[in-house]
Amino acid sequence: MVVLSFTLTPEAASKVHDLLVCLGKFSDTVAIEARRERLVFTALNPSKSAYAAVTLDGRQFFSTYECAPSHGSPEGRFTCSMYTKALLSVFKGRLYDPLGRDGAIDRCEVSVQDRADETQCRFIVKMVCNQGVIKTYKLTYEAVDVMHALFDSNAATNRWSMNASAMKEYVEFFGTKTEMLDIFAGEDGRAVFKSYTEKIANGKEILKHPLVTAVAVNTSDFEEFKVQPGLHIVISVKDFKAIVTHADTLKTSLKAYYSHPTRPLQFSYGCDGLLCEFTLMTSGDYSGGTAPPTPAPAVIPQLASRATSRAAPEATADVRDNRNMPPPTEPASRRSARRQVGSRQPLSPARLQDDPESLFVNQGEEEDTQWEPVDYNNEEEALGWDASADRNTGNFATFQDSGSFSRSDGVQGNADSMDGIAPTQRVSQIKGLW
Amino acid sequence: MRFKAQIHNITTFTKLTASLNSLGPLAWLKLSDEQVCFTIIPEQGTQVWAVLSIDTIFDTYAVQSAANNVINLEVPLGPLHRALKSALNATSAQIRLTKKDHIPLLALTIATTSSNNSYSAFPAAGNRDHDTMIHDQFGGNRETIITQEVPVRVLAPDTVSSLHEPQTREPDVHIILPPLMQLKSISDRFTKLALAGARTSSGAAATTTRLDMAANMHGCLRMSIKTDAMSMSSVWTDLANPELDPSQVANGDIGIAEHPSTRMKLLGSADGRSEEGWASVRIDGKDWGKVMSVGRLGGRVIACFCHEHALILYVYLPTDGGEDESVLTYYISSYSA
Repeated sequence: MVVLSFTLTPEAASKVHDLLVCLGKFSDTVAIEARRERLVFTALNPSKSAYAAVTLDGRQFFSTYECAPSHGSPEGRFTCSMYTKALLSVFKGRLYDPLGRDGAIDRCEVSVQDRADETQCRFIVKMVCNQGVIKTYKLTYEAVDVMHALFDSNAATNRWSMNASAMKEYVEFFGTKTEMLDIFAGEDGRAVFKSYTEKIANGKEILKHPLVTAVAVNTSDFEEFKVQPGLHIVISVKDFKAIVTHADTLKTSLKAYYSHPTRPLQFSYGCDGLLCEFTLMTSGDYSGGTAPPTPAPAVIPQLASRATSRAAPEATADVRDNRNMPPPTEPASRRSARRQVGSRQPLSPARLQDDPESLFVNQGEEEDTQWEPVDYNNEEEALGWDASADRNTGNFATFQDSGSFSRSDGVQGNADSMDGIAPTQRVSQIKGLW
Repeated sequence: MRFKAQIHNITTFTKLTASLNSLGPLAWLKLSDEQVCFTIIPEQGTQVWAVLSIDTIFDTYAVQSAANNVINLEVPLGPLHRALKSALNATSAQIRLTKKDHIPLLALTIATTSSNNSYSAFPAAGNRDHDTMIHDQFGGNRETIITQEVPVRVLAPDTVSSLHEPQTREPDVHIILPPLMQLKSISDRFTKLALAGARTSSGAAATTTRLDMAANMHGCLRMSIKTDAMSMSSVWTDLANPELDPSQVANGDIGIAEHPSTRMKLLGSADGRSEEGWASVRIDGKDWGKVMSVGRLGGRVIACFCHEHALILYVYLPTDGGEDESVLTYYISSYSA
């Protein structure tokens, strides 16, 4: 049996709405992982090129938070997966309204009913509105194992941070329908954000080619900018837009960490007990087409020392052992298979359409394209997630479905650190397995 | 082949591309030493032939080509408009023709000092190292540079030589239109009502609406629409019928005396109640709504009515006292009854 219940203030509930809107742009399902001291929403996009995790701190974010996972596992957790749209139809916009107009709530109480003596397992959300109205939503959920993308921030020697509102202004210059974003650290004190589409068009088709937009920003306009000059890194512009838009709702600074092309990049931001981390696949130097520059941490001694000073010492010690690690065993396919045959069917679409007020993620034409899967044909680029054998730098991210390694639940590295989601297992402990 | 210019009137250029874009996605842009021409020839609907004096939108303008310094381009208006929109708060904007990976482009280079630049005006001391300090010192400018690349197609002189501006006969009536916002809101409402009426009565049948536009030489303009269920009409009076300039009409004074509009002056009345003296055309309501999009440029509009044949609109862009006028000419052909 599982006990999970928490209460949200209207402000916090509206933040849940915002984060669901953002996660909805990555995946149509969102996974929830509850631990004793925190709750994590995660989403992985269908092409597995982008992973998003929003961590809500049990004490800071919630008015009350209680989680007692089943007694079976020592470091227990409760995990489930739900349709993002279903949650969004409960966590609507305008939950927080100081003037108390339509839709505003007094507080939001959430509990999970998952007991052996009950016939139904439900995710129950109670919206306590003004004038004593209580709206109760009982949502079905699917029990899943939650996957996390690991990201080694120690290896990410390139980092910058910028006010999210400023970044949003730049993003608005981008043309519609572009696919890629190249982040380039120029050698003239400027960083260039370039949105473009990699398509070969000829003849009349040329005119349908989307706008190519490059925004050159003074590095002095960043709060921090430490990137190897000349480095290009390419991500999906849609992901970036979704992230920047959400970061802007929190009025905070957007931080980026990355090492070099084909290695994962992480964006993180947060405030008031809410921490968002997005781990994205990157691809190589777009303009050159040659081998991307591979800055080993040693090349830039002051950066490396900076990074290690901040880092957890045990993590850096294990860096070299990493090359022994084989690729993960297709957790992705297992996950999707399970979703199809899952015994608990998530909310039926009919229920969704019944609610005229539901704020489904924007249905506009422009937004429609955001639901489309990102097509990365180049398999070499997809290796960004892989822990292949010829690695020589860093403890890079990989997917690990904890369900396949029962021991992995045991260790929670530096779990409390807000610098990143803790790896589910230390690399040093994996060593003996193979 | 070279083209480079400073855009000194970004707002006008942006509004112009927005207006043109409502009629068709592609424009033929002709750049020459004297003027800049935009031409839209959609498969169906209204044609626009716009002739702009260079200083209407450009500054320090330079165009060079082997074909008498004329460059013909096919430009997608949507991306161009989008690109120009990012220049609305610019301190300077430049446009030039260039080539990248064998694709010709119009590249806009826009410098802005957006509100962004102030965010880190007071950096935390610990956040900076020597690198950024050095950039601050010799960089000096705090501008953000945006480059927008609009793909274009270069048209050979042969390709465009077959394109000709439509020829129409001398108009029966010419009149200065009332404010376009007024005209548009009424015509939009007419079209909407007619469409709604058509939908409820005859299902999906008639989805086109025909606006009847008519004018006389006594300052009256009449717009009406007729469906099975209704008949509506609006009449404007006291509009101006500009005098013809003898120097602009073939055969001078004799030409004016024989001009169709002179004959039309003898018919009709200033209160618009007479059934005589009207020159009328039948046009598509939706298409008219797109034409009215030019109202945002705020120019003076003279409408020339060729009875049962065509309606030609001359939109004169406001100039700051410059001699060369910029004119957008809209050719709207009349549908038969």
